[in-house]
Amino acid sequence: MVNRLFSWLNDPLGRIGVLIAFLTLFSGAAFGLYQTQTAPEQPLEFPHGLHVGLNVQCLYCHPGAYRQASAGLPTETKCWGCHQQLSAVQTEEQWQARPELVKLRNYVMNNEPIPWVPVAQVPDFVHFNHRPHIAAGLNCENCHGNMSDPKFTVAQNPQVLNMGWCLECHRTRTEDNTQNNPNGDPAVSATLNEKRIKLLDCGTCHY
Amino acid sequence: MTTELKISEISANFAEGEQGKWGMAIDMDICTGCQACVAACAMENNVPFVGEADSGYGRSMHWIRTERFWEGEFPEIKMTPYQPVLCQQCGHAPCEPVCPAFATVHSQAEALNLQVYNRCVGTRYCANNCPYQVRSFNWRDYERPEPLPNQLNPDVTVRRRGVMEKCTFCIQRIHRAEDVAKSEGREVADGEFAPACAQACPADAIVFGRIDDPESAVSKMARGARGFHLLEELGTLPAVTYLKGG
Repeated sequence: MVNRLFSWLNDPLGRIGVLIAFLTLFSGAAFGLYQTQTAPEQPLEFPHGLHVGLNVQCLYCHPGAYRQASAGLPTETKCWGCHQQLSAVQTEEQWQARPELVKLRNYVMNNEPIPWVPVAQVPDFVHFNHRPHIAAGLNCENCHGNMSDPKFTVAQNPQVLNMGWCLECHRTRTEDNTQNNPNGDPAVSATLNEKRIKLLDCGTCHY
Repeated sequence: MTTELKISEISANFAEGEQGKWGMAIDMDICTGCQACVAACAMENNVPFVGEADSGYGRSMHWIRTERFWEGEFPEIKMTPYQPVLCQQCGHAPCEPVCPAFATVHSQAEALNLQVYNRCVGTRYCANNCPYQVRSFNWRDYERPEPLPNQLNPDVTVRRRGVMEKCTFCIQRIHRAEDVAKSEGREVADGEFAPACAQACPADAIVFGRIDDPESAVSKMARGARGFHLLEELGTLPAVTYLKGG
């Protein structure tokens, strides 16, 4: 009975059919996976590398990171604060040579917000807060990668922002070892232990 | 020779949960049963409205409810005082050891019972094991008609179908208060913040604070002679103290 049910597998056409079905499923899955790992298209191709290279501080455009949960994405008026200087010195031809800035000018002139697509996002059941991370002395590039790299136009995550990666850092930074507590001070040990309990607690991020 | 353990001995094995951190005192003598706490809790914590049909099946969702019972036989009945019942945040919680997915865990940092929504697989074992019946299960993805989605609290997860949920003592407010206090380099002051139910209570019958601090308002209330715990004989070590009989 079972032999007769699968007898079409002995047929070469049947085997090719199985192969095609497998390849379709596999490539579909691979494409889906690829889609989750590529940066989304942004309304304008913002050159992060150029701006960081010109020594613009991260916190100038993303000031929320310093004092609240969300770092925030800059509005068109913040961009225009610097870029309106250009309108004083540039001719229309010079504008047209830089299409991304024309897009920015259009947003400002039409008084429309720039619909930025957030890239570094966590799911709804995770509550991330930037402030304690900045207060703990972390730099933006520790998590978001080196944005001064000229190849960075649109923000891309240097790593997958998942829980194992978060906990890895929380563990290593609160471990009571010679690096975190070089003198073996019991007071430092107690603080580290208290921090460790807090930083490895489910309720710190999930609620 | 039997190895039967008495409740007090079991509690001794779980000594770490004995001293809670956050606690609540509810004065049943001044509670008017106005349900403001129920409404405030649903607003703060994105608790969905299940509608009439599901409510009829006993699937209504509340993180806090006001209870009252009949005392005596039918014609000569007397109403007991109103009693708001919420998760008691037990130090020795019956819901925790039964979860097969470790979705209901005890927070060591805040001494609360947590419900980790992304771990929950919906066995509902915890709710069946809860002696206070305070857990509610998302039987469906309950619809929020426009413009209700605009009032969702962004600090709280919107739960999906198939997960258990319960009172968190407004842990988002605890975290916010701790974050603000830390950024200003101080400790959280007593009464600086309150969960939604305590904030909304017009009679101030619900008091919230640190129970590990003997000087806090909630500790002082809980120490009084009127205080008792719900189903105290179970040895669940609740963090909520009720006051009655003044």
